[in-house]
Amino acid sequence: MMRRFIRHSLYILIVSLLVPMSVGFANPPIHNSDLTCNVCHNCDNPTKESPCTRMCPTRENMHITSEHLLSEAPDTIMLNYIEKESASVRFDHKSHASMSQMNMSCKTCHHYSPKDRIPPCHECHARESDPINLKKPSLKGAFHRQCLGCHREWSHDTKCVVCHISCDDNLSLDNTDVSDIVGISHPVIHVPTSKIYHTPYEPGPIVTFYHDEHVDLFGFQCVDCHVEENCGYCHDLTHPKNLVKTEEEKHEMCVQCHQINNCGHCHDTKRKPAFSHASTGWPLNQYHDKLDCRACHPTRKKIGRLDRHCNSCHGGWNQQNFRHAITGLILDENHIEWECTDCHPDNQYNKQDCSGCHDDDITPENHIPGKHVVQH
Amino acid sequence: MDKDRRKFLKLSTVATASLIPSVTSASTEHCEDDFDNAFGVLVDTTVCVGCRNCELACNQQNELPEQPEEHFSDKSVFNSMRKPSVEAYTVVNRSIDSQPSELGSFSKIQCMHCNHPACVSACIVGALTKCTHGVVSWDAWKCIGCRYCMIACPFQIPAYEFKEPLKPRVMKCTFCYDRIHDNKKPACVESCPVEALTFGKRRDLIKLAHSRIETSPDKYYDHVYGEKEIGGTSWMYLASKEFINYDLPKLGEEQIPQMTEIIQHGIFKSFLPPLALYGFLGLVMHSIRQNKKKETENDEQS
Repeated sequence: MMRRFIRHSLYILIVSLLVPMSVGFANPPIHNSDLTCNVCHNCDNPTKESPCTRMCPTRENMHITSEHLLSEAPDTIMLNYIEKESASVRFDHKSHASMSQMNMSCKTCHHYSPKDRIPPCHECHARESDPINLKKPSLKGAFHRQCLGCHREWSHDTKCVVCHISCDDNLSLDNTDVSDIVGISHPVIHVPTSKIYHTPYEPGPIVTFYHDEHVDLFGFQCVDCHVEENCGYCHDLTHPKNLVKTEEEKHEMCVQCHQINNCGHCHDTKRKPAFSHASTGWPLNQYHDKLDCRACHPTRKKIGRLDRHCNSCHGGWNQQNFRHAITGLILDENHIEWECTDCHPDNQYNKQDCSGCHDDDITPENHIPGKHVVQH
Repeated sequence: MDKDRRKFLKLSTVATASLIPSVTSASTEHCEDDFDNAFGVLVDTTVCVGCRNCELACNQQNELPEQPEEHFSDKSVFNSMRKPSVEAYTVVNRSIDSQPSELGSFSKIQCMHCNHPACVSACIVGALTKCTHGVVSWDAWKCIGCRYCMIACPFQIPAYEFKEPLKPRVMKCTFCYDRIHDNKKPACVESCPVEALTFGKRRDLIKLAHSRIETSPDKYYDHVYGEKEIGGTSWMYLASKEFINYDLPKLGEEQIPQMTEIIQHGIFKSFLPPLALYGFLGLVMHSIRQNKKKETENDEQS
């Protein structure tokens, strides 16, 4: 009896010791809701022998689209970090940055940037390539990959002297010719004033596109329509420009502003005349004609019909401060005292109504309430 | 007399048998299972800009016929597909499908330093060896100029100095063995401005190649040329399109020397089959002679 008791208590003791031990020693899984396995590993079953780790996404090296102003960066940078091996390079940062605006802006070259600043290339890329991390090119490789990819396409040349200035050259930073990018200037890009497109749309095969109107009149920036049309659009070798567009792609840009179901707006049987504001039913007077479209049509893309009441724009005009002379008519002393709405009922300022005071036979045409002036 | 001959035969068999192990141990000086640790180069043709700096560096490093520097900036060479020659261990070619109007993409061609080189297998005097660092090297002292290596090579790499009648050499990329030995990169790799060539352990390069394909699947054709071709090569390639465009032949995964070596090495394995054959023939002849002797003795007796 005694022996059985001792045996049982011994069992209990062992079990009570083992249970907490097993719980304690078990490796608790790391639960981090943000972190999935494939953030660090690029295979399904990483092992200790082949962990298949990705390039470490450290917080400092995350690909952050930090917005910086071009003015923050220097105009020209002297690249002479590997000076013993090669002649320095005078890098015109300003020109390159402005060229990249049509593409991915700063990100085109500065691929791994921390949040607050854009580090220089040599902060990550060492002079010698890392034998452990073969993925990261050395500083020399990194520079050349950035530059040669475009430059050889541009100049059809890989000559070193295109970028590396010889020791005899004057190394002053302001001695740069902006038009001379790689030893030659880019040919002038012809910007058409208008373009005629012949389409298979039978009721209106001719589409007239006025390029100058869209730029000068409607105030579009180049990048509004020419999206992603950077140097590589014409000069890319790996993905040559695809000139054949589908019907959808052809209409894609226009229908952002023009209605797709109103074919006749663009398609016609003959060349369409240039835009005239009178065709909208609102001929512009000399004051309105001077204005930019966007002064009255403030939305960025869509230009639509506006409220034609004067005070929808000129809300600040009233009886005291309005000079009637700017309409081309100086009111005589009989009429100048009247309220605006006495002659222009319902705020319809392009219509006059004399019937409030006069008989029906008196109209603004035969009895001018003042005198016309030549408008300046 | 009879006893003496038997003794001689016994002795000679023992002598040949004792020689065999030493011969076999000398012939297996390969680094058979260490290919992954061997050095290699990954050529990323999507990065190469066709500057031909590697050709210039190779020319200078290996003291090949001196050429003016302008020779290496001449882009008209890309109009045809070139092969390495006695004057150039490596050449850069433009892909076949490139239009004349565009610059195209480029690839550097040189000895691939195969894991199981057909040239080494074909060489009857062991002048070509595959050994330390994965280098396939050529020994001028052993070479007899049979040029079997040129026929054996699936990439048609080795060139022969036909113009040197007295001391002709088999010319091919040396993998800059001396430089590698001094912990330096091969001259071509060192000279590449865009680092289209990555030098490292073959094992690491395979990983690098696959991670590049995985990171940019749109950029790369999903294959690492040389990883498995003919049993693997030290030089490997990445490209945006099929490798045939770069004059890299479509090859199976089977090692080229495998079939011939099974037959050849089987027949001459440790020189035992020939010995057995001659021994067997000798025995037959011996027994025939014995029989004849007995017959003549019988005849004499009768």
